[in-house]
Amino acid sequence: MSGDHSKQIAEAMCGSLAESWKFKKCKIRSSEGQVLDSGMVVFFESPNSYTGEDVVEFHCHGNPAIVNLILEDAVNRGARVAEPGEFTKTAFLNDKIDLAQAESVADLINAQSKSAIIAAGSSLSGEFSSKVDSIVEGLIKTRVVVEAHIDFPEEDIDSLLLEKISKDLLVFSNDIKSLLVDANNSMKLREGYRVAIVGPPNAGKSTLINTIAKESVAITSNIPGTTRDLVRAEVDLGGVIVEFVDTAGMRQNPENVIEEEGMLRSREAIEGSNLCLLIQDITEVQPFDIELENKMTVMNKCDLAVDEPKEQQGVFYVSSLTGQGVGSLVKEVLLRLGVDEGSETPFLARKRHKVSIENSLHFLNVSIKDLEEKTGLELVAESLRLAHEGLGEVLRPMSSDDLLGEIFSEFCIGK
Amino acid sequence: MNKFEVIVIGGGHAGVEAADVASRMGVPTLLITHDLLKIGEMSCNPAIGGIGKSHLAKEVDALGGLMAKSADRAGIHYRVLNSTKGQAVRATRVQTDRDLYKQAIQDLLAQSKNLSIVEGSVTDISIKNSVIQSITTSEGEEYFASSIILTTGTFLGGVMHTGLTQSSGGRVGDPASIELAQKLRGLNLPVGRLKTGTPPRLHKDSIDWSSLIPQPGDKPTPLLSYTSAAKNRPQQMDCFMTRTNKGTHKVIHDYLHESPMYSGVIEGVGPRYCPSIEDKVMRFSERDSHQIFAEPEGLSSDLIYPNGISTSLPLEAQEKLVRSIKGFENAEIVRPGYAIEYDYFNPTCLKHTLELKDIKGLYFAGQINGTTGYEEAAAQGIVAGINAALSIKKQGTFELKRDEAYIGVLIDDLVSLGTKEPYRMFTSRAEYRLILREDNADMRLTQKGKDLGIVQDDLWEKYITKKELSSNELSRLKTNKIKPNSPEALKIELETGEKTTNNISLYEILKRPKVLYGHLPQINETVPSNVIDEIEASVKYEGYIKRQKADIEKLQRNENTRIPEHIDYANVVGLSNEVKQKLNEARPESIARASRLPGVTPAAISLLMIHIKKHKRAVGE
Repeated sequence: MSGDHSKQIAEAMCGSLAESWKFKKCKIRSSEGQVLDSGMVVFFESPNSYTGEDVVEFHCHGNPAIVNLILEDAVNRGARVAEPGEFTKTAFLNDKIDLAQAESVADLINAQSKSAIIAAGSSLSGEFSSKVDSIVEGLIKTRVVVEAHIDFPEEDIDSLLLEKISKDLLVFSNDIKSLLVDANNSMKLREGYRVAIVGPPNAGKSTLINTIAKESVAITSNIPGTTRDLVRAEVDLGGVIVEFVDTAGMRQNPENVIEEEGMLRSREAIEGSNLCLLIQDITEVQPFDIELENKMTVMNKCDLAVDEPKEQQGVFYVSSLTGQGVGSLVKEVLLRLGVDEGSETPFLARKRHKVSIENSLHFLNVSIKDLEEKTGLELVAESLRLAHEGLGEVLRPMSSDDLLGEIFSEFCIGK
Repeated sequence: MNKFEVIVIGGGHAGVEAADVASRMGVPTLLITHDLLKIGEMSCNPAIGGIGKSHLAKEVDALGGLMAKSADRAGIHYRVLNSTKGQAVRATRVQTDRDLYKQAIQDLLAQSKNLSIVEGSVTDISIKNSVIQSITTSEGEEYFASSIILTTGTFLGGVMHTGLTQSSGGRVGDPASIELAQKLRGLNLPVGRLKTGTPPRLHKDSIDWSSLIPQPGDKPTPLLSYTSAAKNRPQQMDCFMTRTNKGTHKVIHDYLHESPMYSGVIEGVGPRYCPSIEDKVMRFSERDSHQIFAEPEGLSSDLIYPNGISTSLPLEAQEKLVRSIKGFENAEIVRPGYAIEYDYFNPTCLKHTLELKDIKGLYFAGQINGTTGYEEAAAQGIVAGINAALSIKKQGTFELKRDEAYIGVLIDDLVSLGTKEPYRMFTSRAEYRLILREDNADMRLTQKGKDLGIVQDDLWEKYITKKELSSNELSRLKTNKIKPNSPEALKIELETGEKTTNNISLYEILKRPKVLYGHLPQINETVPSNVIDEIEASVKYEGYIKRQKADIEKLQRNENTRIPEHIDYANVVGLSNEVKQKLNEARPESIARASRLPGVTPAAISLLMIHIKKHKRAVGE
């Protein structure tokens, strides 16, 4: 954590800090006084720190859930989630990094912001972002009505429209609340990238996951709630958590209801993934005609192939049994996911989204209160602007001129 | 030799403010215009102010400008718009007597000591090594100056359309500037065509006033200027309202093929918010009626301005259209409506001082920059005038920020983003709307004006008095408390429903939405209404304003980080070609301005900051 208030926030979380550059054992507590973790904290006093500002490092247990709680708590106490590359940028601007390193700083920011864009996309499932989108849509409509009443009081604008908005705002507020509940409770806001492994039965899909996990010396874990038919494994690929989902084998004519249901779930897994690996047994390639948006074709069981395979471009040849070709497959997977060296994890991108959505909810509720208390339409407008801005950060920002454009297309304005 | 320091070309709303302020800064100034009698002419509707626009007019006034004072000397009908929607969006609008307004402007200009006014038509400007040198008139007279401000309005290559007939002109009855337009087109600037229009004028005796709905002005009657006195205001008049109907819309459909807009003769882009009646009927076909305000052009004028039926249909159609409207059945058109197309330059070619990025000493202000409206013009005029004079005096520049004034929003929008249609101010363009109010334009700007030496004594005295009154009154409100169940508390509860349970300061109780200054006990009767407005707004909006101020502070560092003028974006590592192109076109002067360009991402801004820092360190700054 870097910045003027970091010491103050850290002390609120872990009690008084040791002198600069000294570790201190501590309990990290939430705003409610609950112990989040036992760990260590170290304070670097400005200017003798990485960024040149006051910096506090928390050393906690590696469980993502704990990291998440600590981060959330710091944000609740006034910190904000850093932009991609922001620590390094601050370090450079504060003369902590020499001139020769400037180029690499630029590269880093570039790489991180690129991966953050991809990460941001991957942290929002299609369903989630379409929900946000429809709330934004509604907010824009409401803002159009409010701003039109403010900027064009003498036009024939139906004042009934204004009376309707408080009802709409309550609906938006409830929608955002349930979005946040969703985001907290389910996998809809994802922590990592997801790769679906698909293909006909017996192509060696499960073996491949195991091999990838071994190859990268990874920790794998089972996620609670895993359905019997989808096997999920989280694999740490060079610091990036990638979830591989092994789907039920798919074929044209399922034999029974259970298999049909299994294939339905496979389809859902495919839709929710960033990338699909289509696995085929090279000795017995079967037709597979399910549309996959972003796919890589992998020929498995190369060790069993009688002849040296005639390599096709864009197709990967591996043996999950011997591990042949798996290393370069993993590299390509990372590349296709947009993960570069120095990439930001989707964890932070997700965090930023959640904070934006929470801000948005706050301002929406302020606007509802302002509307009830009749404190003046301009205050309602201000809160709506901020609520919209919060959600706009998640999806698409909108300029004031765009908003005017909406007003002009909605209402007949002008004398 | 005809040598001046500042020359202003054009006597419209931008030109007069520019010439006036430059001369008041002690710099020998020349105002040159094609017709001395038309100085300060209102070419379109006879009104000043309205939402967003009154804010601009008051800001110009807080800097000692001419517009608001003149409007008060000519104001015949005042309204306060949005009076229930909050202090920040409240706006004054004044219907003026066209002749009195012009007269007021000309009288005020006559008082300027360092100002010469010459009648002439400028046909050429001379530029040497990217530095402005002189202008030449059609009579071959050459005038020299190191700062020249062009305020050409709708005159540059102006073409007027009524039906399918066209004529060259800058306004009805006035010739266009053709040679100057050609000269400017040769300068390799981003030139474009815009279009605007005006309705036909009707004879007041031909209207059946009894069937129109009267719209009296507001009582008590406000003033636009901080320094005007109510006693100098002319007699007040009513406006009237009527509506178009299905018959009107049928006329438009019948004649649409003769509309220059709909037949494709006009190429210029018109404003979305000031559509012609043809546009309204075609674009909103589900509406079977549109409102029209019949506004008098003056106390003794025979003309009526039918606000709402701007049109460029042929005269025959205009007559039928007008006569289909209730109250206008026998109306006589004294002057037909028309559309006008003119040259403008996309204002991204300007600095925030309104000087051209590539031609030293040449400034543009007003409609030449793609704006519309008298107030927008005046705002640019005063900024260009101040900067032209400052550059002569080598005293830096004058730029207002987006959180300081609507003038700042206007110029920043224009210069940073450019415009493809006539740009008009709206309050929704200002992200710091709650801070930029009518009631505090003087609090925001008059000190700055004083520092420039352009604030007159009467304005300064009024400002100082207001400032003292408001700070004394605010500290009184903070110290004086009321007890629960005291007669004062019960009175407030009775009048507003707001209960008090603890000892509470007047300041705190004024924060409650329903409590107004007038509800407080022991109110200071000597505090004038403009001070009350300012106090109420600053108390009630404290929380919101704090938030906005925090945002502003965050941006401050970026605002202060200047981008070197000759930066080569091609050398900035990591920028995408699209961002490089955007930055190259806009050439923003600061990091904050760069960050407001659409498509310029936070990552691109970081890269840019690193590049600038690197450059600074390399040269050992």
